[in-house]
Amino acid sequence: MKVEITINGRPVAGEVDERTLLLEFVRDVAGLTGARNGCLEARCGCCSVLLDGQVVKSCNVLAAQADGREVETVEGLATGDTTTIEDPTTEGSVGTYVPLSARGVDEGSLHPLQQAFHERGALQCGYCTAGMLLTLKEFLARVPDPTEAEVREALRGNLCRCTGYQSIVDAALLAAERMRG
Amino acid sequence: MSVAADRATGESLIGRSLPRREDLALLTGTAVFVDDMRPAGLLHARILRSPHAHARIRRIDLEPARRLPGVVDVFCGADVERSVEPWGDLTQDILTGDRIAFARDKAVYQGQEVAVAVAETKWQAEDAIEAIEVDYEPLEPLVDPEQAMQPDAPVIQDGVDYEGGVGNAYDASYRIRVGDFEFARDEADVVVRARFTTGCSGAAALEPHACLADYNPSSGKLTFHSATQMVHPLRDGLSKALHLPRTQVRVVAPFVGGGFGSKGDVFPWEVITAVASIRTGRPVRCVLSRREVFETVPGRGRQVRYAELAMRADGTITAYGERVIFACGGVSAWGNQILRIGTQIGMLPYAIPNIHVDGFAVHTNTGPAGPVRGFGVPEAIFAKEQLVDMAATELGLDPVEVRLRNVLHGDDCPTVTPLGQRVDSTSIDRCLERAAEAIDRSEAEDVGVGFAVCMKYTSARHPSLDSDLASVRIVLETDGTVSVFSGDSPHGQGHGTTVAQVVADALGVGVEKVRVTSSDTETCPFSLGTWGSRGGAILGTAARMAAERVRAKLIELAAHILETAPEELEVAEDRVRFVGMPGTGLFIQNLVLLAAYATHQLPEGFEPGPIQAQATYDTPTERERSDGTGNLSPTYSAAAHAARVEVDRETGRWRVLDYVMAHDTGVIINPLIVEGQHQGAFLHGYAMVFGEEVRWGEDGAVANAGFKEYFAPSAADLPSLHPTIEVPAPSTVIPGGQKGAGESATAPVAATIANALQAATGVRFCSLPIMPDDVKRALVESERRGAPIVYPRDMPDYDGPTEWPEPEEFDDLELID
Repeated sequence: MKVEITINGRPVAGEVDERTLLLEFVRDVAGLTGARNGCLEARCGCCSVLLDGQVVKSCNVLAAQADGREVETVEGLATGDTTTIEDPTTEGSVGTYVPLSARGVDEGSLHPLQQAFHERGALQCGYCTAGMLLTLKEFLARVPDPTEAEVREALRGNLCRCTGYQSIVDAALLAAERMRG
Repeated sequence: MSVAADRATGESLIGRSLPRREDLALLTGTAVFVDDMRPAGLLHARILRSPHAHARIRRIDLEPARRLPGVVDVFCGADVERSVEPWGDLTQDILTGDRIAFARDKAVYQGQEVAVAVAETKWQAEDAIEAIEVDYEPLEPLVDPEQAMQPDAPVIQDGVDYEGGVGNAYDASYRIRVGDFEFARDEADVVVRARFTTGCSGAAALEPHACLADYNPSSGKLTFHSATQMVHPLRDGLSKALHLPRTQVRVVAPFVGGGFGSKGDVFPWEVITAVASIRTGRPVRCVLSRREVFETVPGRGRQVRYAELAMRADGTITAYGERVIFACGGVSAWGNQILRIGTQIGMLPYAIPNIHVDGFAVHTNTGPAGPVRGFGVPEAIFAKEQLVDMAATELGLDPVEVRLRNVLHGDDCPTVTPLGQRVDSTSIDRCLERAAEAIDRSEAEDVGVGFAVCMKYTSARHPSLDSDLASVRIVLETDGTVSVFSGDSPHGQGHGTTVAQVVADALGVGVEKVRVTSSDTETCPFSLGTWGSRGGAILGTAARMAAERVRAKLIELAAHILETAPEELEVAEDRVRFVGMPGTGLFIQNLVLLAAYATHQLPEGFEPGPIQAQATYDTPTERERSDGTGNLSPTYSAAAHAARVEVDRETGRWRVLDYVMAHDTGVIINPLIVEGQHQGAFLHGYAMVFGEEVRWGEDGAVANAGFKEYFAPSAADLPSLHPTIEVPAPSTVIPGGQKGAGESATAPVAATIANALQAATGVRFCSLPIMPDDVKRALVESERRGAPIVYPRDMPDYDGPTEWPEPEEFDDLELID
């Protein structure tokens, strides 16, 4: 069957088996591999994306159910202006290292959540990170000034095995503060 | 002051919380894991696994699968009998011969590999394995390790001869014999004993195990991408199993989604996927499902400890004895190493003069046991630190005071324990004081405070592996940037940042000039991999050594050009400059250019070409001796934990109100990263108590092979964590003073919480995990008896062993070095 989904503002169409999951559409048809398969049982949250602004586990939604709708993935996050992160440079004869500059992505264009995750060390292996970011983006849009307990509750559907969560919670609170201005 | 200005004045990069250089790719979704690779012509492998924990395999019919659309290849053990040999004996010990690609005549645990289908799509491969017909004859499964040790129990690995094994106890030779245990026990004022059991918590890394084999038929070369913690040992294991020269196998780990020990092995599905690519001449990927991960990836393995501790009236620990039985599953992965290292290191931070341990690594019809954060130390600490509290209670002593009396003291270091552990430095005494100060010890209803202490190895010389090394190669490029080829295989630890800090610091260049490449056997020098809290100290030392060699070359060259003595020069600001004189001397870039493009300007004897160096650091550690003694680790990190826990008597739920961690991690290269290691390590310790446990039924089937039934804690389940109290006692063995960071916060957690629960309820919980149902039942029973109880032993329905096993006879023959 033919499915067309607007992903990060760009329409993506594909002829897929009707059993195709939204996760598989995003990864295999749209080629955006930031959403990840951690369990395929809608428990770990590594595949979380926004569907019409709502967090869904994309392993728990058929691509067909998302037909004609809007999806946001982690690849669509880095667009806003933020402060840059200072790198410990020696100002030698070589220009400073600008990560991912060829893709037009640098520290200056990260979403405040991405920025805060980076500063607070809120990721280690990074496998859960995309799902964490999107879950928190939706949560902070609803609850711009949350308590620590509310952040922890909001992340109940997203597992992380590396950080012990404190740095993720701290980063969420820092980003919330910055987003409130 | 800006960071750049700091560097001009020679401020060190060591101790800086630099945000990680790995992060941007992960934060923006561009990082590539094995499952994200998209090679042309990719095939998908799905593995048919045994539904039985123990069964004869009478017949396998692959034909129905071969006829299905999209199926390219289907094979099983009989097809690869001559081309694949058993592995597991790369190291020099007894683990020989039972690691195999497919179960042949007999499956020994549920989920063991039986056959594989390779197809154009995942769905076609899935359909194909469903079409394979296997005729099984189920056998009696042995799930309980103590039952498996009974003399009349059928032997699970009946075709393999294990040196030092007896029946299913494939390693029955582990002994610690220090001092005179029985005499000390008889002389003691109090002896406490209990039977402790710990559950098989899994690592449950969020990236399921995955590999992608790409065999090039024209060159005969296998390029193998895997989510592994150790590219070189995997390369060597694969080569050996497949009879390929090491030159023809390249192992690469791309981004890896966590490991915690569980990705450090040569796994059957890796060998199978490599064979599939060789047979088909096309790239083949195998990604395990979450169910497969729970069934077949090594978890901690259940441990049973009959443990006793003797104490004098003044609180001095005089003797410790244990009989340890470790359920290692159907095959021998790292089990006996965990038993040995975990038990030996678990005796710290005390210098116990009399120790008697009998340890048994036992085959059971369950999934393999292997390393999970802490390598057996948390299990040992869970028993020992509760016994310390039990003895203190009997003597009316304070748990903090009694520990302060027994822990090694920093002022006495370096010191050698009766077990032969040379502790170069420590602050465990001060850590304990700091933790006790920081926790609220005031009394409240249903609230208890508990403590536990531990030391943790910083890497280790495994009994089976006479090596404890890491290697780093550094090449200066002609624009003054620095390529670092780092041997270990990070999977979240941030080596790309930590190693860059060490190298940039030693070379006086900006950290952004340094690029670290890891996890590729073709470009990176041989190392043992990333495990055992070894990155910062062992790999970091190799990086420092390599950088210092490069620095010496730069200074030699600059001294020649500047016509001065090397002693007049230093590196800073991307330059070799005159000591303390910013802006002088020569840019490193210009020196590298000279060596590459103007070789007539080089001093006599200076090797032209790229300025580079490689260094290997092998720790000055000992092999385990046959009486269990030896200094297995170059240095020891330490932790003192304190918990304030509240129990809800209605529901049995317990909640950590406050948790304090005070640590000795020596010199810390990147505090942001090390704090993350501590907090993450805490999670894995907490999870052991909270409910993480792979459970096998009596039939050997996994009862909870999914996150729905396997209780991995979420953010809402964990307490808030304060920043760790660091009390650094720099290592005097590791040149930079570092100590291991990754596991010291796992080891004491279960004991700390159990001690707090005892203080809150009077119940001594001796079995992990401690679920609300356990607490509720124990409280009811305790109330009924009107006395404190030991759970589960004092429960009316307790069906565990009632007899205390006698210590094994001392056997002189086993103690020949």
